[in-house]
Amino acid sequence: MKTRLDANRRRSWPSLVVAVAALASLLTTNVVIARELHYGAVRHPELLACDQSSWRGAFDDAHACYRILLQADVPAEIHAEAAWALNDLQLANRLFREATAARPDDAAIRVRWGDLFAATHQDAEAMTIYREALNIDSDNAFAMLGAARVLVGGFDDAANTYLEPLLTDTRKDPGARAAAWLVVARVSLESNSMTQALHALDEAEAILDTTDWPPLELYALRAAADLLNNMPESGYTAKALEYNPGFGGIYAIPAHFHVITRRYRDAIALYQKAVDIEPGLAQAHEELGINLLRDNQIARARKHLETAYEADPFSPATVNTLRLLDSFDNFRLINDPDLPQPGLLPITLRLHVDEAAVIAPYAVTLARQSIAEFSRRYGFDLQEPVIIEMYPDHEDFAVRTAGMPGIGILGATFGYVIAMDSPSSRPPSQFQWGTTLWHEMAHVFTLEATDHRVPRWFSEGISVFEEWRSGPNPGVRIPLTVYKAMQEDRFLPIAELDEGFVRPTYDEQVIVSYMQAGLVCQFIDEAYGTDKLREVLYSFRDGMQTGEAISVALDMSPTDFDGEFSRFVEREHGAVLANLDDWQRMQQSVGQYLDDQDWEAIVGLAEHMISILPNYVEPDSPYIALAKANEELGRHADALAALERYWQHGGYDPDALRRLGGWLSEAGRRDEAIAVLSAVTLVDPLEQELHGSLGDLLLAAERPDDALREYTIALALDPHDKATAYYRMAQAHNALGNREASQGQLLQALDLAPNFRPAQRLLLELMRADGGSEQN
Amino acid sequence: MSRLPLSALMVVMLLPASVFADLQVVVLEGLGGEQKYTEQFATQVDAIERAANGVTSADRVTVFRSGEFSRESVIGFFGNLAGRLQPDDRLAVYLVGHGSFDDHEYKFNIAGPDLTDADLLDMLNGITARQLLVNSSSSSGAIADRLHGENRTLILATRSGAERHATRFGQYFALALSDATADLDKNGIISAQEAFDFADRQVTDFYARNGQLATEHARVEGEQAARFGLARLGPLSKPTLADAELRNLLSQRDELNAAIEDLRLRRDAMAADAYQSELLGNMLELARLEEQIERREAELADEN
Repeated sequence: MKTRLDANRRRSWPSLVVAVAALASLLTTNVVIARELHYGAVRHPELLACDQSSWRGAFDDAHACYRILLQADVPAEIHAEAAWALNDLQLANRLFREATAARPDDAAIRVRWGDLFAATHQDAEAMTIYREALNIDSDNAFAMLGAARVLVGGFDDAANTYLEPLLTDTRKDPGARAAAWLVVARVSLESNSMTQALHALDEAEAILDTTDWPPLELYALRAAADLLNNMPESGYTAKALEYNPGFGGIYAIPAHFHVITRRYRDAIALYQKAVDIEPGLAQAHEELGINLLRDNQIARARKHLETAYEADPFSPATVNTLRLLDSFDNFRLINDPDLPQPGLLPITLRLHVDEAAVIAPYAVTLARQSIAEFSRRYGFDLQEPVIIEMYPDHEDFAVRTAGMPGIGILGATFGYVIAMDSPSSRPPSQFQWGTTLWHEMAHVFTLEATDHRVPRWFSEGISVFEEWRSGPNPGVRIPLTVYKAMQEDRFLPIAELDEGFVRPTYDEQVIVSYMQAGLVCQFIDEAYGTDKLREVLYSFRDGMQTGEAISVALDMSPTDFDGEFSRFVEREHGAVLANLDDWQRMQQSVGQYLDDQDWEAIVGLAEHMISILPNYVEPDSPYIALAKANEELGRHADALAALERYWQHGGYDPDALRRLGGWLSEAGRRDEAIAVLSAVTLVDPLEQELHGSLGDLLLAAERPDDALREYTIALALDPHDKATAYYRMAQAHNALGNREASQGQLLQALDLAPNFRPAQRLLLELMRADGGSEQN
Repeated sequence: MSRLPLSALMVVMLLPASVFADLQVVVLEGLGGEQKYTEQFATQVDAIERAANGVTSADRVTVFRSGEFSRESVIGFFGNLAGRLQPDDRLAVYLVGHGSFDDHEYKFNIAGPDLTDADLLDMLNGITARQLLVNSSSSSGAIADRLHGENRTLILATRSGAERHATRFGQYFALALSDATADLDKNGIISAQEAFDFADRQVTDFYARNGQLATEHARVEGEQAARFGLARLGPLSKPTLADAELRNLLSQRDELNAAIEDLRLRRDAMAADAYQSELLGNMLELARLEEQIERREAELADEN
């Protein structure tokens, strides 16, 4: 076996040596890794005899059979198959290599070797070997099947190149053809193309009926189709278990479809059944563990992931998730309230120890505000505590969400559990963590209010709409790439909007779909009222699909809805779209003028750009250029006004807002300065002086409670100037009448800096207020 | 309160003055190359010059602006300086610009032939005064071994010559010279050590917050950084030592500061409560003294 691992593996758990030792120990147990049904890719009669026992659930007999086969006088590749079935993957790999070296022109051996690599998550190596097999035998059906399966797993359309011959050429091996139709069925079910899926299943069944290959996978996909058609008790379950009472896949395969429709608890129940009847089913243990984690069942999750690891130490998702669980030692759990209070929904935060003290106060406040807002608006009270996790390492968040690093989203909600990037996971100004939390809290409501039946597009639509409407930085803001898509008429019909999320066909389609969904919800809310928006939401709980939900709630066909929506978009954004190309040309000009320091040119052009697109507040916003130009021209009041408008339109660049806050403070506009700097905390809370400055303003505004919060956060950030930090704390405590606490902070300040005059003065003031005694 | 011998008290009394005593400041501004560096270096030099003029007389501050000097003229200047400075004097030299290191020789980039590490060594070895060299250039760490000296403190923006990127250290060091948060002991003076600590922290935080690998790691070599006062925050107050009452108050303050320092040294051997109690007593007394000093100074100012 090639040395682990490919680029997708960030970490390795115990070394390969330990992993091999773990594998070796399995030779003495009855646990067998589920070797994929091969549908005739190998036809050695003695091997097939062992396989039949395995496929019928007689695992002990199968185990004994494979052991005998391993010692028998059979070709090396058959020994390899036996070793594989006995879970000795290193031996299997070596034997396949030997067999290939001895018979280099035998494509079938290469195909099975490729299947071994695919089974151990090494897709790139598997594809290389499949291609080698096809170079030897361009018609090799099982090489095509293997390649198609790998490519389908990577959502690569090139899979069709390999599938098509198997689906259309009846001269191809029937087993391979049946398996190909099952691949099509699975993909169709994943993309909710039920008609296509059922047709594929029928085709597969017709072929399998003419062969002796087990119908287990067919039954499992039939059961999955029944589940998606709201028939969770499928007759195919009994049929499968009659064939093989130990076939865990009859539960595990349908469970996958619960996961992709975000019904994690239902998935957990099915995966549990799968491992109950087939304890060696590594992938089911892995999925069970990952989904238990999504339900905050940490201990159970770890148990199943460890079992998965013992059976299959090659799975990156298992290894990554176990390493993530280990990293929880670096996180703190913060409960709000500390102790249960009747009528107050508990919120638990899982935050990194370095950031917990900084983020927790803001996160709790935002979460409570969102709960109050969404409970009222959507008529649903949350039933369980909310768990909010924030990860400083984006790849940890990615593993938490998808089991693998490398996803681009900022947050994910699994029901009552939210996982998201922490503000420290990205450079300041790259994302607004407060807005992201608000977005995810909305998902909690749309998921739970509909028992997780809400389609992806509507849940995202509500979340985006609520960002715009009620979030900590309200205002409709649409990225330029989406405006471009609108110009090119790329919005999807409402009945197909989910596809934009699940099966995007171009690079930007997901973000375009997010914005379209938000606009749809905005349109419904404004044109038909919040009651109707709510009615659409609850239609999904009642089992309706999008088209029906729209028709019933709004009394119009989806097609008519699309027409109305288009007119809404034109009204709201038509002027922007008509001038978008000019705007972008102007933006390039502004960039050039900035390089040339042609400040007067920038002033005129920026104002014109703002008049076209006032809500463009990205870091290259014309507001910022306008402020800079005015500042360079000595027009300080105009510079301040430009940044003020930037902020009022939702601008969130922390440097710009800090500058604005400072200017407002210098101008004596203290309350506005407080509002501006408070906004910065929801983007970049980890900058220590922000909290010091904000605290000073709050103290001057006679808001000592809020000032103390800010000073406490500043101190938690390990400031360089601790004496000042302690002095500020002392001031706040003094303003709150907490003289003892104030004195304690002053002593800490003076311990560091005995000559700190302001601290000395406050100490004397405290002593004199205490009755005039300055004696210790 | 424990009392220190008179000799120790004299040292304590003289500390603040000796921080500035006969301080000579020389600033060399190198070539920026790109406009942004030219502007950055000019801003840093302005800040350093302002700070220097606050702690020593203007005739002891010499700034060599970019493009206005040559290697020969600088070497000649230091030659003259060697003849003027005494062992009790202090010399602070700033190099603001780009540096380079080819694994053999460090060069500070100026117009014409660059200044090499050998040039710097010769320039400084000829001077007997206590020396501080602040080199915020890229690859500045390359001079650490060569310019190491008993009477010389080095503040360098990089830990070795291999750190070749333009540094951020210099701008933060210059910022420290006017930033109260750099004055950790709140005595109104920014020492070289305080400026270094501030800048070092700012550099570390910058790379951490932006998720970047740090390409520079500043270092201090030598023991005197805390004894070089590079900037003064606020106006210079000139106590009238002719006034006996004020002299007495100042003497009491110095004595009390020494006692506080002594208490802090004994901290680990004390129970926490006992330490806090004694600290509070000392701090109250110090605060009263400062109040009396301020009152007396105000009275004297009114009389004048």
